[in-house]
Amino acid sequence: MEQRTNSPYPKIDRPILAAIGLLLVVSTVLFAWSDRRHDWRYYQFEFKKRVAEKYGAEKAHTVPVGLDQIWAGDLRRADRCVVCHQATLWKGFETAEHPYRTHPPEPLKAHPIQKFGCTACHGGQGFAVDADKAHGPTPFWEEPVLSGSLGEAYSLAENKKALMQMNCNVCHRYDRETKGAEAINRAKNLVLEKGCRACHVINGRGGTIGPDLTFVGDKAAEQYDMTRLSGQKTSFAWHVAHLKDPKALVPETVMPNFSFGTKDSQALAMLVMSWRKAPVPADFRPGTPRTDPQTPEEVIEEQKMKTGPGAWFVKTGCFVCHSVSSLGVKSAAQIGPDLALAVEDTQSRFGRTVDDFFMNPTGTMAVVLSRQIILSPEEKKVAIEKLREAFREHQKQKASQASATSATSANAPKH
Amino acid sequence: MVETKDRRDFVLKLGIGAGITALGAQAVASLRSLVPNVSYDSPTTVKVGPPNDFPDGMKFLPDERLFVFRDGKTFHAISAVCTHLGCTVRAEALSQVQTQGVEGKSLRMTHRFLCPCHGSKYKGDGSNESGPAPSPLAWYHLSLASDDGQLVVDLAKPVGHDFRLTLA
Amino acid sequence: MSAPKSAPGVHPKPFWSFRPTSDREAGDAVVSNFVLHWFPAKVYKPSLDWNYSFWLGTVSAALFFLLILSGLPLLVLYVPSVERAYGSVKDIEYVVTFGTWIRAVHRISAHLMVAVVFLHLVRVFLTGAYKNGVGRGQMREWNWVMGVAMLLLTLFLSFTGYLLPWDQLAYWAVTVGTNIASAVPLIGPKMRELLIGGRTIEQATLIRFYALHIVFLPVALGALFVYHMWRIRKDGGLARSDGEVLLPAAQEVPPGRTKTYSLLGVARGTSPTIRTRSLEAPELSVNSVTDLTRRIAIVVLGTIAVVSILSVFIASPLEEAANALVTPNPAKAPWYFLWLQEIVTDTTVRIGSFTINGAFLGGVILPGLLIGLLTVWPWLDRSPASAAGAWFHGSRKKQNAVFLLLVLVVVLFTVVGTFMRGPYWHFFWPWQAWPELPTRI
Repeated sequence: MEQRTNSPYPKIDRPILAAIGLLLVVSTVLFAWSDRRHDWRYYQFEFKKRVAEKYGAEKAHTVPVGLDQIWAGDLRRADRCVVCHQATLWKGFETAEHPYRTHPPEPLKAHPIQKFGCTACHGGQGFAVDADKAHGPTPFWEEPVLSGSLGEAYSLAENKKALMQMNCNVCHRYDRETKGAEAINRAKNLVLEKGCRACHVINGRGGTIGPDLTFVGDKAAEQYDMTRLSGQKTSFAWHVAHLKDPKALVPETVMPNFSFGTKDSQALAMLVMSWRKAPVPADFRPGTPRTDPQTPEEVIEEQKMKTGPGAWFVKTGCFVCHSVSSLGVKSAAQIGPDLALAVEDTQSRFGRTVDDFFMNPTGTMAVVLSRQIILSPEEKKVAIEKLREAFREHQKQKASQASATSATSANAPKH
Repeated sequence: MVETKDRRDFVLKLGIGAGITALGAQAVASLRSLVPNVSYDSPTTVKVGPPNDFPDGMKFLPDERLFVFRDGKTFHAISAVCTHLGCTVRAEALSQVQTQGVEGKSLRMTHRFLCPCHGSKYKGDGSNESGPAPSPLAWYHLSLASDDGQLVVDLAKPVGHDFRLTLA
Repeated sequence: MSAPKSAPGVHPKPFWSFRPTSDREAGDAVVSNFVLHWFPAKVYKPSLDWNYSFWLGTVSAALFFLLILSGLPLLVLYVPSVERAYGSVKDIEYVVTFGTWIRAVHRISAHLMVAVVFLHLVRVFLTGAYKNGVGRGQMREWNWVMGVAMLLLTLFLSFTGYLLPWDQLAYWAVTVGTNIASAVPLIGPKMRELLIGGRTIEQATLIRFYALHIVFLPVALGALFVYHMWRIRKDGGLARSDGEVLLPAAQEVPPGRTKTYSLLGVARGTSPTIRTRSLEAPELSVNSVTDLTRRIAIVVLGTIAVVSILSVFIASPLEEAANALVTPNPAKAPWYFLWLQEIVTDTTVRIGSFTINGAFLGGVILPGLLIGLLTVWPWLDRSPASAAGAWFHGSRKKQNAVFLLLVLVVVLFTVVGTFMRGPYWHFFWPWQAWPELPTRI
């Protein structure tokens, strides 16, 4: 036998190596287990059982097993919600609890699931297959499922599920009215009624005193100043609070307080948050042309005002906020007082002549005249002259009306 | 005899030298291909909209990473790119508007700027106040487009803090 | 045994043995096995001690090996385009069988490798292992330089891998990182443009980083690794074995047999007479097979087991998809660069109206100086040859202290940057809550 140098470490090394071998086996078992433990395996097992109970074992056999997704290619969304929500397109589970419930068929008629996927409407993380990560709110995913429980967290007035309408309006933003989106419809009416466009550009049209709101839904949460906001620190909460009382969040703002109630503020915040530059193909967006069109009546009325005696007020832009009743100019928003009475108004409200007030305005008019409607001294003189003309016309009309009313003893006009 | 040997030697060296030079040139040539000649970056001269679309005060243009300020008929534009390491700074409205002379011209300052990366702070005119930022935020040249009167910003043309675009 | 015994390298058995019964068989195993021929037939026993080298170099190599293995499936699953990259990583995370685990193995190995390679460097410095001993033709200082280069390559590999998921973390870490590069005077901006293939981080950047990450850098690191190992053999093994040669108890070894398995492999002819204690004396050296190979197996398999188990429990982060318009708050570089980011934040110097950019001072000058100093240190170290391969040798007290201080500063800054910096880079103690960051809904 040839010489064999004795190994110096036999006693320790061999058991260590054996232990490491065992550790490797353990690690293999561990990662195999970690792949098996996902909840969706349980949900699929449970759904299969329910189908078997209801329709028999043969039908249960057709329930797919394993991971699955709906690839809405146009929207570039891969939605794996159906891995757990297997009942989505099955009949007969309308009243079962989630995730074994059938999707209401009505909205799916216009929005086939193969084309729209799930998250385009519902929100949530389509990539994920675990409930907490898919539903959110979860870190690093900005779109949680817009569910009733999230609405609950925001104490939505009335319909707690209304948050989902935000996603409807990403495509339906140019609709005057969208079926089923009451909150959004309500907010759209408020936008027309309160004349938001007097100060804000929306869909490419409007004034510039306030910021352009066309894509304000994309504004990053980091860009909001939330220091004065109490409660949830989110863009949505900020908008709700800001609509209720703008000065409470931005003390230096010139935005008037419209005294919106909770319901209106929430509806408007949803509308504002829905104004996003989402990568939606053109054919997903109803409403042509792709602007926010004026009705034919509105166009005719505006044309009439432009050629009538009050044309100067229309051309200059005063009519956005002010009516000039005596000259037939009617403002849609009517945020400011009737300019037919300006000569009287400046005296009664500020104790100044209209000339003095117009040359050195205060309050909102100071902002408007220095930033949005900028007039040269000559133009200002014209403006004052026009205001006096409107007042003269007003008095004339009042006099003739007074003689008419005294003749017929009808209701006296307000002014 | 000696001459022939010398000549051979010279030709050999020349040959080897030329070969090595050629190989070197080819190596450099293939590396040169990695230096981009054209760029898919967005252009530096951008139309940002008609002047009347800008509200008085500040408007942030995220695509250009730019703040456009308006004070009546005068405009100026300040970059939102932190001069330290290039993060996007956030504008914070001042509780009180300050008017101050900057480089001999008075400037109405409505905001200050904070960088989220390393905490640099800038004053309303873009000058660096604290934190690691080494220099003020860049001001960019504004002009009016000759065709449609839109505001045009030149992101490759930094200007001094006394620059203003005043509308006629 | 009928095969000719005397021919070197000719194996008497058709297959080598992992469990040799004699010294000759042990030597044969080394000579005739492609993988084992890296190793000497015999190794100096104390070189194998756990508490001398802590086997950190072997762990680094094992991690590199693991990174290549776990990188192979990722190579196929990942799509290097700005439209698809983020989605493909989400897919790996959620719907690829074992995808989460493979990605975690790759990520954890990468983080560990940065740490272990750094610790390896610290060990080599503290033991003076870059010093030449008594052997001829030793060039340990060059192997040290190689090691520094490999540390930088490891960092750069990790950094290029960082961008690939194309999430906010990736995008802004690379924005900050490449802006540091552009702070180099004159060539900086050009260098950045070449690195990212334009002025902004876009598709061109992604594909450049991808190519660097999967081909250029691993090949470079692999080549250097092979050379690093070869040099260790050429330099006579670990520095510790040199110390032993210098021991006074020298004995004359008469001219020996015609064929020996020495530290340097097979040598034929008459070995020279040396007046030292022989390294091949039975009490000082052991057969590589199986004493060295078993320990290597323990270290490599142990590393794999530990990484594999950690990967089950430590989830890999993936933030929102990259958005050039929104900077996350705080925006942090990868943790191994956070000490630099910390310096970058603190080193903007103002002298009157003249300011030096922190990015230049802290991001270029300071690390450049540190790396330069590290590189040339073996030539500046004037301690005696006996300090080679000894922990905390008396003659190297001062330099060890300064080195440890620098290491401590780097580690401290890394910890502060990682755990104690919140929004706006404000300082927070670990027990202090960060202010709530705003979200969309």
